[in-house]
Amino acid sequence: MRDWPNTFRAAGYVISRAFRGMAQAPMVQLLAVATTAVCMLLLGTVMLAWTNAQGVASAWGIDVPVTVYLHDDAPDNEIEELAGLLEAIPEVTSVEQVSPQDAMTRLAEGLGGEASMLEGIEPGVLPSSLEVHLQDGTSSTFIAALGDKVTGFGVVEDVAVAGSWTDQAQAMLHTVGNMALGAASLVGFACMAIVWSTIRLAVYARRSEIQILRLVGGSTQFVRGPFIVEGIVQGALGAALALTLLYAGFDTVRPFLEDGLSLLFAAGTLRFFTPSEVAIGVAFGALVGLLGSRAAAGRYVVT
Amino acid sequence: MFSGLATMPILEFSSVTMTYGRGRAKTEALRDVSFSVPEGAFSVLVGPSGAGKSTLLKLVLAMERPVEGTIQVADRDIHRLRKHSIPYLRRNVGAVFQDFKLLPDATALENVALALQVLGLPRREVRARASKALEQVELEPGTKRSVSRMSGGEQQRVAIARALSGEPAILLADEPTGNLDPRLSREILEVLARINRNGTTVMLATHDPIVREAGVITHELGLEGGRLVSDSLAEVDAVQAVDLEEDTNPVLTGGLPVGAVA
Repeated sequence: MRDWPNTFRAAGYVISRAFRGMAQAPMVQLLAVATTAVCMLLLGTVMLAWTNAQGVASAWGIDVPVTVYLHDDAPDNEIEELAGLLEAIPEVTSVEQVSPQDAMTRLAEGLGGEASMLEGIEPGVLPSSLEVHLQDGTSSTFIAALGDKVTGFGVVEDVAVAGSWTDQAQAMLHTVGNMALGAASLVGFACMAIVWSTIRLAVYARRSEIQILRLVGGSTQFVRGPFIVEGIVQGALGAALALTLLYAGFDTVRPFLEDGLSLLFAAGTLRFFTPSEVAIGVAFGALVGLLGSRAAAGRYVVT
Repeated sequence: MFSGLATMPILEFSSVTMTYGRGRAKTEALRDVSFSVPEGAFSVLVGPSGAGKSTLLKLVLAMERPVEGTIQVADRDIHRLRKHSIPYLRRNVGAVFQDFKLLPDATALENVALALQVLGLPRREVRARASKALEQVELEPGTKRSVSRMSGGEQQRVAIARALSGEPAILLADEPTGNLDPRLSREILEVLARINRNGTTVMLATHDPIVREAGVITHELGLEGGRLVSDSLAEVDAVQAVDLEEDTNPVLTGGLPVGAVA
């Protein structure tokens, strides 16, 4: 059975040794964090562009291929029946019911600073609807046929089917998404290489200590641990620095973008990452650091 | 000459063969080596350079694996030890080397403490045990000097203290006096003899004549060209023993007296 108090104490040693190791070569650490931050900044910029492009697409309804407008007096059970039928179609990924109140809220959000124009207008003037989301790559022929079929239902007042321009917009979004994914992979590898080389330097500088630790019975985790912690800290700090710089840049550029592209961004969709997205970004940096340091220490720091 | 100690073996080699390299570059370091070291023995491996002494010690530390044969340390088969179990073996086998293998910028206490931190012991216990180990080799635990500023003899004492701190079943020493002058060599032997008298089995690889002459050896293994050429419990001859600093030197007085074993 594992001796947990001793394991925790050994973990405490590993962490404190990692920080002492980093303090022994502060310039190397600084350089590694800065270089990682530059790479992460590139990735963050692409990801932010993608996030905002998605937001714009959502605000403009580009991401909803079929919108089914319902009669005001449509009974709930018939609406639910129609939604159920649509959800049963394999190409349909989800069906979302939008009430007049929801529609009004969205409209107000879409108008951004001009939302005061809606004062005095009752939500009831807007119809309730079903937004039908489809799988990526669903053909426009299928979408048109689906629209025609749905029109025949008694509860349906009108059907709006996304046109060819939304196809193009979707394709563009898709491309930006792929670019973000490609950038994430490239940057991930670049950051891993940076962390790898820094940790290799640390392994080389501390090779005597590694040899001694192995001789006195240090487990692989005990010997390798400080290097792994070092890599994680480098990656996480690099990502945090990149996000800080990105936020500063975003905050500076945002007013110019919103002024220059007022039509596009009237919806007020231009936004920075949410706190949970920021946390994911830092965790991604930590993961890249972990993989880089593991690769660097793994081969050389074995029993 | 003696036939053997009446105690259980702490280390046992059975038909161990060890080679380095492959094909034409294959070199046989040990060939069909079998012996056992009784618990509490002061065992010495003698032989010229390249005889296989260091290889043998590396096998005990699981730094190398034999191509044939079995090795047992304290009733544990180590020739088929899994990688993750090797550190646990090393915590039970203290090792001392010719080049000390110390952290030069750390103090004696820090160097010894390293072996105890590996065990995850509480800080207070690490300090207490490291201090005790240093006192055992007659070094001041509180010294702030880094080991790089110590003499060779002091550095080797620190290395011995580190090896002892984990209370190992057996202490291995590979040419521990190889880098030391005769006076310091005698000091180190004195320390090792005292450790042995306290019950720790010591196995020492050397070709330093001072060791053989010091009268502390209870078991001698002779290696030549990778083969075991002699295996005997050596006679401790006080007349042949090198005259250490004075007659009351514990190395001389601490050696196993003639006739003590059957």
